[in-house]
Amino acid sequence: MGNVLVWVIWFLGAGGCLASGIAVVSVTNPFYSALALIGNLASLAVLYLLLAAEFLAAAQVLVYAGAVMVMFLFVVAYLGGRTDAPWAGEPAMLRTAAVVAAAALLVEVVVVLGLAWGDSLQEPAEVSDSFGSPAEIGELFLTDHLLAFEITSIVLLVAAIGGVVLGTTPEKEESA
Amino acid sequence: MIAGAWICLLAPLAGALAITLAGRRISRRTAGWISTLTTFAAFGGALVAFVGLRATDSADREQLSTAYTWLAAGDFEVGFQILLDPLSSVMMLIVSGVGGLIVWYSMGYMHGDDEERRYFAYMSIFVFAMLLLVEAGNFLLLLVGWGLVGLASYLLIGFWHKRPEAVAAAKKAFVMNAIGDATFALACVLLIWETGTLEFFGVFEGVGSMSSTTVNLVALGLLGGAVAKSAQIPLHTWLPDAMEGPTPVSALIHAATMVTAGVYLLVRASPIFEAAPDIQHLAAILGAVTLLVAGLVALVQWDIKRVIAYSTMSQIGYMFMAAGIGAYGYAIFHLMTHAFFKALLFMSAGVVIHHLDGEQDIRKMGGLKGVMPRTHIAFLVGTLALVGIPPFAGFWSKDGIISSALATGGALGWSLYVAGLVGALLTGAYAFRLYYTVFRGESAGTEASHAHEAKGEGPLSMLVPVGILTVLATIGGLVVIPGVWEPFLHWIDETAESLVEPTVVQDYGTSAIAVGLGLIGLYLARRAFFTNRQLVTNPGAWRVFEHKLYFDELYDALFYRPVVAIATALRRNVEEPIIERSLDEIGAGTIQVGGEVARVQSGLLRTYTVAIAFAVCVLVIVFVAVR
Amino acid sequence: MDGPGVGWYLIVAAILFGVGALGVMLRRSPLIVLLSLEIMLNAANLTLIAFARQRGDLDGQIFALSVVAVAAAEVAIGLGLIVAMARRRLVLDVDRASELRG
Repeated sequence: MGNVLVWVIWFLGAGGCLASGIAVVSVTNPFYSALALIGNLASLAVLYLLLAAEFLAAAQVLVYAGAVMVMFLFVVAYLGGRTDAPWAGEPAMLRTAAVVAAAALLVEVVVVLGLAWGDSLQEPAEVSDSFGSPAEIGELFLTDHLLAFEITSIVLLVAAIGGVVLGTTPEKEESA
Repeated sequence: MIAGAWICLLAPLAGALAITLAGRRISRRTAGWISTLTTFAAFGGALVAFVGLRATDSADREQLSTAYTWLAAGDFEVGFQILLDPLSSVMMLIVSGVGGLIVWYSMGYMHGDDEERRYFAYMSIFVFAMLLLVEAGNFLLLLVGWGLVGLASYLLIGFWHKRPEAVAAAKKAFVMNAIGDATFALACVLLIWETGTLEFFGVFEGVGSMSSTTVNLVALGLLGGAVAKSAQIPLHTWLPDAMEGPTPVSALIHAATMVTAGVYLLVRASPIFEAAPDIQHLAAILGAVTLLVAGLVALVQWDIKRVIAYSTMSQIGYMFMAAGIGAYGYAIFHLMTHAFFKALLFMSAGVVIHHLDGEQDIRKMGGLKGVMPRTHIAFLVGTLALVGIPPFAGFWSKDGIISSALATGGALGWSLYVAGLVGALLTGAYAFRLYYTVFRGESAGTEASHAHEAKGEGPLSMLVPVGILTVLATIGGLVVIPGVWEPFLHWIDETAESLVEPTVVQDYGTSAIAVGLGLIGLYLARRAFFTNRQLVTNPGAWRVFEHKLYFDELYDALFYRPVVAIATALRRNVEEPIIERSLDEIGAGTIQVGGEVARVQSGLLRTYTVAIAFAVCVLVIVFVAVR
Repeated sequence: MDGPGVGWYLIVAAILFGVGALGVMLRRSPLIVLLSLEIMLNAANLTLIAFARQRGDLDGQIFALSVVAVAAAEVAIGLGLIVAMARRRLVLDVDRASELRG
C-alpha cells in the first residue's frame, strides 16, 4: 500500500516537474513563465522529500520559490509590456543545432551513465531517520564544509553589492 | 733594453688615449704637444733599445718579450709579444724618429684647423700601429698592426671629411688595403694549418717541412698583402688619390712608414720567401715594373704631391726589387734613406703649399727660390738625394740595389739591372722637372695675388724638422760605404742574411752609370724647362701617362661595374619582390587569417551557448571513456 | 526505500536539464533565458540529492544547498542587468546585444 502511494506521489511530482519545465521554456508571456517556474520548484520540493532531503525541500521552497521567484515577478511587473519576448525566429540552423545539442545531451547522459553505473543504482544505501535533517546538515556545514559555507556567504555579499551598483548607476548618469 | 722597446710601443698609444679622453678640455696646441712628445718619447725608447741591443752579444740579439697570452684556442696559442732584433730596432728608430719630426711639423701645418685634436689623436694611433707592426713577435700581431695602420690611413686620408674627394680616396685606400689584408690573413691560416703556430721562429723552422705548393701559397698571400700596402702594381691605384689627405699625412704614411711596411714584411718573412723563390722573384719583377710605370706617369703630373707620390711608388719598387733578389740589407737601407728624403720632399712641398695657401698645381708656381730660400735648399737636397747624386743619401742605397741586381746575374738579374738603370734616368727627369717648375723661372703670377712676402717661409715648428731632415738626407747614407764601412748591412744581415753581395767593382761601376743617367735626366729636364717644353711631347704617350696607364678605368670596368650591376639586379629581382614582399605577405596573411578566425566571434549569445552545449557532449564522452 | 529507484530521478533530472538547455539556446528574451538557466540549476540539484540518497552521504545535499545560494545570487545580478538594460531603453533581445563581436 505504502509503495503504491510513493509511486503515485512520485509520478505527480515528476510529471509536475516536466510539465512546468516545458511550460517555462515555451510560454510567450514571461509572467506565466515565472509562475511555471514556481510550480517547477514546488514539484522538485516534493521529489526532494521523497529522497529524504527535508531540509533542502524546505529551503528550496522558502528561498527559491519564496524569495528568488518573487524577485523575478517584481522585475516582470516592472518591465511591463516590454517583456513580451518573441520566440527564437532566426537562423534555422541555430534552432536545429540547439535541438540536436539538447537531445544529444539527454541521450548521452541517460545512456552513458546508465551503462556505466546502471548496476550500482539498484540498491540505495540504508539511511537513518535523521538523514537530511536540519541538524545533520547544520553539523556538516559547520565542520566538514565550513569553507564552502563561508565562501557562499561572501558570494552573497558580492551579489548584494553588485545589485546595488547595478541599481544606482543610471541615476547618477542622468543627473550628470 | 726590452723596456725601451715596450715604452717605444706604448708611448704613442698613451698619447692617443690622453688626447681622446681629454677631448675639448685641452687646447689644440696641447694636443699637438702631447702627440709630438709621446712620439719623441717612443724614439727615446727605441734609442735605448737599440743601444742596449748593440751592446749585447751578437748571438743574443733576438729578444722576444711576451706580455700575456692573447689568444688560446686548443693547442694554438698567440701571445702579445714583441721582438727586439736588429731589423726591428732599425725600423723602430725610423718610424719613431721620422714620425716624431713629422708630428712636430704638423703642429705648424695644421695650426688653425678646427679638428686639430682629432688629427693628433689619429697621428698617435698611427704611430702606435706602425710600431706594433714592426715590433710584433708573431704574424698575428703583425697582422693586427697591419690592419690598424690601414685604419689610421683611412682616418687620416679622409680627415677633411667634408670633401667628397677625400672621403672617396679614403675608401679606395681602405678597400684596396683590405684585399691585401685578406690574402695576408689566408696565408696566416695556412701557416696555422701547417705549422700550428704563428710565432716567427716556429714558422721559420716549420717552413722546411711544408710542401712546395703550400709555401708558395703562403708566400703569395704575404706578397699580396705587401703589394697592397706598398702600392705596387697591380694594387697601386689608391696611393695617388691618398694625396687628398693633409701633407704631413702624406709624408708620414705614404712615404716614410706605412707604404714601407710591405718591404718590412718581405724582409721579415725572408725564410718563407727563400723557400718559395718563384714568389720572391715575382716580388722583384713587380717592383721593377712599378718602378718604371710610376716613373713614366710622374713625368706628366701637374700636382706637386702627386709627382712625389708616384716617386714614392717608384722608389718602393726599388725596395721590392731588392727584397725580391735577396738583398735585404740594401732594401732596408734604401727604406731608411727614402724615409729621410721623401719625408723631406713632402714636408718642403708642404711648406710651399702652406705658403701659397693651399695651391698644389705646379703650373701656378715658379720662381720661389728667391722667396723661400731655406725651403729651396731643402727641396734641392731632397731631389738630389732622390736622384742619387753623391754624397747624398739616395746615392748609396739605390745604387746598392741596382748593383745587387747585377750580382744576381741570369736573365732575371740583367733585366732588373736594366730596369733599375732606366728608372734612375726617369727619376732624374721627373724630379728635376718638378724642382725647376716650382722653384726656378719666373713666378706664375700667384705671388702677386698673395701678399705673402712679409709672412716668411713658415713657422719654426715646420722649418726645424725640415732642417733636421735635410741634414739626414745629406749624411744619412754614409752608414754604408761599400768596401770601406758597412755597419748597417752587417746589422741587418744578423736578422736576414743577404743572398747576394755585389763586389766593390760592380758597385762603383754601377754607381757611375746610374749617376750618369741621373745627370742626363737632370739635363733633359733642365733643357725642357728652359725651352718651355714638356718632357713628353708625343700626345698619345702623354694621354696614356696622364691617365696613369688607364689602371683606374680598367679596375672600374673589371670590378666596380659588374659588382654594381649584380647588386642592382639582385636588389630588383630578389630583394624587393621576394624578401620584402614576403614580409608584407606574412603580415597581410596574418591579418587575413585573423579576420577569418574572428568571424567566430559573432557576438550572438545563443551561438555561444549552442557551442558550449556541443562541447559538453563531447567532454562527457571523453571523461567517461578515459575513466 | 520503496518507490522508484534513484535511476528514475536521474532520468527526470536529465530531461529537465535538456529542457532548460533548449530554453537557453532558443529563447530571445533575457528574462526567459534566466528562467531556463534556473531550470538547469535545479536539475543539477536533483541529481546531487539523488546521489546523496544513493550513497547515504550528505555531502550531496550540502552541495545542493550551496548551489541554491549561488543561484540566488546569480539571479539577483542577472535581474539587475536586465533592469539596467530596460532603464536605458534597450531592446530586451539577446540577439541584439552583440557588441562583443570580432
